[in-house]
Amino acid sequence: MTSTLTVRTTHDTRVEGPAIAARAVDATKVYGRGEATVRALDGVTIGFETSRFTAIMGPSGSGKSTLMHSLAGLDRLTSGSIRVGEVEIGKLRDKKLTKLRRDRIGFVFQAFNLIPTLTAAENIVLPMRLAGRKPNQVWVDHVVDTVGLQNRLHHRPSELSGGQQQRVAVARALASQPHIIFADEPTGNLDSRTGAEILSFMRQAVRELGQTIVMVTHDPVAASYADRAVFLADGRIVDELDSPTADSVFDRMRTLGA
Amino acid sequence: MLSLTIKSVRANKARFFLTSIAVLLGVAFMAGTFVLTDTIKKSYDDVSTNVYRSTDAVVRSARDTKSADQGGADTRGTISAETLGTVRAVNGVKAAEAQQLGSAVVVGHDGRLLDANRNRAIPIALAWQDTPELNPMRLVSGHAPGAPDEIVVDRASADKGHFALGEAVHVVSQAGSGEYRIAGVATYGGADSAAGAQVVAFTPDTASQVIGTPGRFTAIQVIAAPGVSQDQLVSNVRSALHDPQLEVVTGAQATTEAQAATGTSLQFVNIFLMTFAIVALVVGSFVIYNTFSITVAQRTKETALLRAIGAKRRQVMRSIRYEALFIGVFASTAGVVAGIGLAQGLRSVLSAFGLDLPSGAAVIEPRTIVVSVVTGVVVTFVAAWLPARRAAKVAPIEALRDTAVERTSHSKRRVVFGIVTTVAGAVFMAQGLSGAGVGAVGLGAFGVFFGVAMLGPVIARRFSRIAGWPLPRMRGMAGTLARENAMRNPRRTAASSSALMIGVGLVAFITVFAASAKASMATSVDKAMKSEWIVTTQFGMGGLSPTVAERIDALPETGAVTALRFFDAKVGDSTSSASAVDPARVEQSVELDLRAGRIADLGAHEVAVQAETAKAKNLHVGDTLTMFFPETGDQQLTVVALYGTKEPLGDYVISTQAFDANIATHVDNDIVVSAAPGVPQDQARQAVEHVLKDFPTAELMTKSEFKGSMASEIDKILNLVYVLLAMALVIALFGIANTLALSVFERTREFGLLRAVGMTRKQVRSTVRWEAVLIALLGTTLGTSIGLGFAWSLFRALENQGFNTFTVPVQQLGVIVVFAAVAAVVAATLPARRAAKLDVLEAISSS
Repeated sequence: MTSTLTVRTTHDTRVEGPAIAARAVDATKVYGRGEATVRALDGVTIGFETSRFTAIMGPSGSGKSTLMHSLAGLDRLTSGSIRVGEVEIGKLRDKKLTKLRRDRIGFVFQAFNLIPTLTAAENIVLPMRLAGRKPNQVWVDHVVDTVGLQNRLHHRPSELSGGQQQRVAVARALASQPHIIFADEPTGNLDSRTGAEILSFMRQAVRELGQTIVMVTHDPVAASYADRAVFLADGRIVDELDSPTADSVFDRMRTLGA
Repeated sequence: MLSLTIKSVRANKARFFLTSIAVLLGVAFMAGTFVLTDTIKKSYDDVSTNVYRSTDAVVRSARDTKSADQGGADTRGTISAETLGTVRAVNGVKAAEAQQLGSAVVVGHDGRLLDANRNRAIPIALAWQDTPELNPMRLVSGHAPGAPDEIVVDRASADKGHFALGEAVHVVSQAGSGEYRIAGVATYGGADSAAGAQVVAFTPDTASQVIGTPGRFTAIQVIAAPGVSQDQLVSNVRSALHDPQLEVVTGAQATTEAQAATGTSLQFVNIFLMTFAIVALVVGSFVIYNTFSITVAQRTKETALLRAIGAKRRQVMRSIRYEALFIGVFASTAGVVAGIGLAQGLRSVLSAFGLDLPSGAAVIEPRTIVVSVVTGVVVTFVAAWLPARRAAKVAPIEALRDTAVERTSHSKRRVVFGIVTTVAGAVFMAQGLSGAGVGAVGLGAFGVFFGVAMLGPVIARRFSRIAGWPLPRMRGMAGTLARENAMRNPRRTAASSSALMIGVGLVAFITVFAASAKASMATSVDKAMKSEWIVTTQFGMGGLSPTVAERIDALPETGAVTALRFFDAKVGDSTSSASAVDPARVEQSVELDLRAGRIADLGAHEVAVQAETAKAKNLHVGDTLTMFFPETGDQQLTVVALYGTKEPLGDYVISTQAFDANIATHVDNDIVVSAAPGVPQDQARQAVEHVLKDFPTAELMTKSEFKGSMASEIDKILNLVYVLLAMALVIALFGIANTLALSVFERTREFGLLRAVGMTRKQVRSTVRWEAVLIALLGTTLGTSIGLGFAWSLFRALENQGFNTFTVPVQQLGVIVVFAAVAAVVAATLPARRAAKLDVLEAISSS
């Protein structure tokens, strides 16, 4: 890992202090009508700093996935605003939003992260190929090295183990050097050892590559890899921990009654 | 399990309708054909019944020759006028009248034909009957023809030509062109025209000169005295005549024969249209098969679960068969209803291509409904048979597996079966073409299509890789994915393309064959015609009066003028085309490619034989052969020459002298004309055209115009076939749309993921569309190859019938391929849109 690659240019924000990669202000999401109304998000305001690893925690139905989907431009808020970098995404139409996801956001989902007809290598550069851009090969090679996939590049997803598949997904998220990566329960389908491996990669990406990652999880162990843990319950942010450990997160979860 | 079927249908309405359409269109085509031909037949039959309504017996010549052309009219000899007196004297005869039938054309006031359509019904000319019961015509105004120059015309022609009573009109016949006065206007067989044909009636005396031979009648119609049965009458007349050369039949039989004759020519229309209906159904069955295969594969987990909780194999199979049955019944019923409407559409299509058909109220026979519905249901059921069996084979354990196991597409059995079926089909076809009949050809063609369809999956992956090679470069990631998607399930890709393969195969076949036919004709004309012009007449116009050739010949501006007459010659058991020429002149105008003997030796008892025919029949110069003429019976003719030119001379050539001696109607078909030496072409042409002003049935054409007019006739048929094949292509495209819709549904999560990581809607649509293009290209490539093969086989089979130039119209075939690809893109529109509109969040969170 050469130093030229580890240094990432932070955005040209003139705001003092650490730059904010994405921000939700008074984010509210209401499902249904009348009696059946569910407030999945109820006035959430939060910022995610650049080059940090944030875990969004909360029990099922707390709104953590809705928050992530809204931040990532996959879902629209009922009211409030979302900014990714300097872009207010609530006003973007589908085409612009798609391009934003493609160029500035990375994704790691819980399962079904890869296109089965494409090889690992093709999956990794997929967003850039969709954009019609030539991937930065040096960077991609570096990412591939980091996640240890050199020997599996020409395999299709069906020929890879679950852990390998998730590593390809992480590599894809990193490869396009996005502004921010959203990970939705990335280790939910993996055994604990493989899960730990993936989480280490993600933390490594933040520490060494300066990547910004927001991860949704309900697993305290997974959250302990993050720099910061945010707790949601009933659509609101109820707590926050810096440098969380599995134990501290677990305690906090218990008090939240999850 | 029935409730499961109903739920499945209700849950997938779109699929249900798309699948149904595959059957519906084919069944509609079939029902429409039935309704159309039944309706036409009824209007012909009504006329025949009406014409013979009071005829109890018919006396006619016992000699007739079947036409060498399919659907052509038979030629029967005439009878002597003296017979009439004998018949009238027979016991039990109330009345007897001579029937004189022939051809003559009433010309419009503008000097042109009333109906310029080349495929019009053949105009009828006859002698007016004084006995009203025997007269097919009934006056609506004016009076019967009394003076030699008086005529009665049918009401339809009178209306069309704006003819008024007493007006003078020109009538063109074998006797030349003459002026007549309209004495009356009449109906024919109760209709305004003879089932679409123009009718003109002369006095009996005029008729015998203008359309017949003086002293000869076409037949005699007899009415029985009260209390005498038809059979009794026939036997009385028969014994009174006591002449083996005459035939006496009952009026009932004459009606039946007349109806059977129209039935035979209609049969041709029926078979022609039915072929396309069957093609549509075959294509539909491929679509059904494919749809069921895919849904069965998609439901593997569901089926396995059913099996795991105790459903028997038979129950699984049955639930799918019920679904097929349900679709079959629904689609076939709807198809029959649609077919009744389609009959009208088919009529419009046929008449747009010049095939004039009488109309009437739609005739819907119970047979139409039964046959169409049963066929539709059976086709659907059979097509779903294999998929149902495959579903039953799903093991309960597959419910627990994560992903459905992709069955290999390269099974050896498939390859062996595919090759065997293809080869067997090809052999069958070859057998059929060399004489075993149309049925064998059809079955063979089906075998080839089926065999290649079986082999499809074996080549689909490689084909998609090669054909899709430029896609990643052209369309980036969307192209890459389209190509990968086409490759990932070769069986599905192949099955989706197979329906299109059949449609395109037939289109390519007919295109190549038509091009070869045109090229062959052009070659024949170039080879055979030594002169610049040909005066010809359209089929069914009664030929050209010999006066035409005489007057052209008399012009100082013309050089060699040779009239050609065509007739059906019966030698041995076979009837083949033959011609009559003036032996002294023919060599100036026509390249005979003489192989032996001298054509000038042709006289009243000589014949020249086409070289290949002579070889097949082992005939040499100096041998004799027996040619049968309906007018004069068997004639011994001496072979004096062998020639090579098959077109337009046919298998035998006799002299005009022999023709006049043995055939009743003395008319020319073509006149080959050249300009006199030193006379400018324009001047000669103008002179000839001036003569032809009196004969609007004649057309003057240069060699290239003549080739062009023949080519345009072929093109007309070609276009008609295209239109009729369009139905099969539409079904095939529905099939592609259906497959893609199912694939999109199956790949919901994939598209969701792609959209999440930044694929635009446009790119999604592009992916689906280009996959459709690859499927279409596979279908068109295979189809075009098969079509080429078919055309070549048919060409080889017809090589000794004047087909001499095999042509591959590369440009036209290219257009077909591009057209199919574009059509596939259109078919992919809906599935592509559906894929693009997927809710990303829903797609990625659905499991």
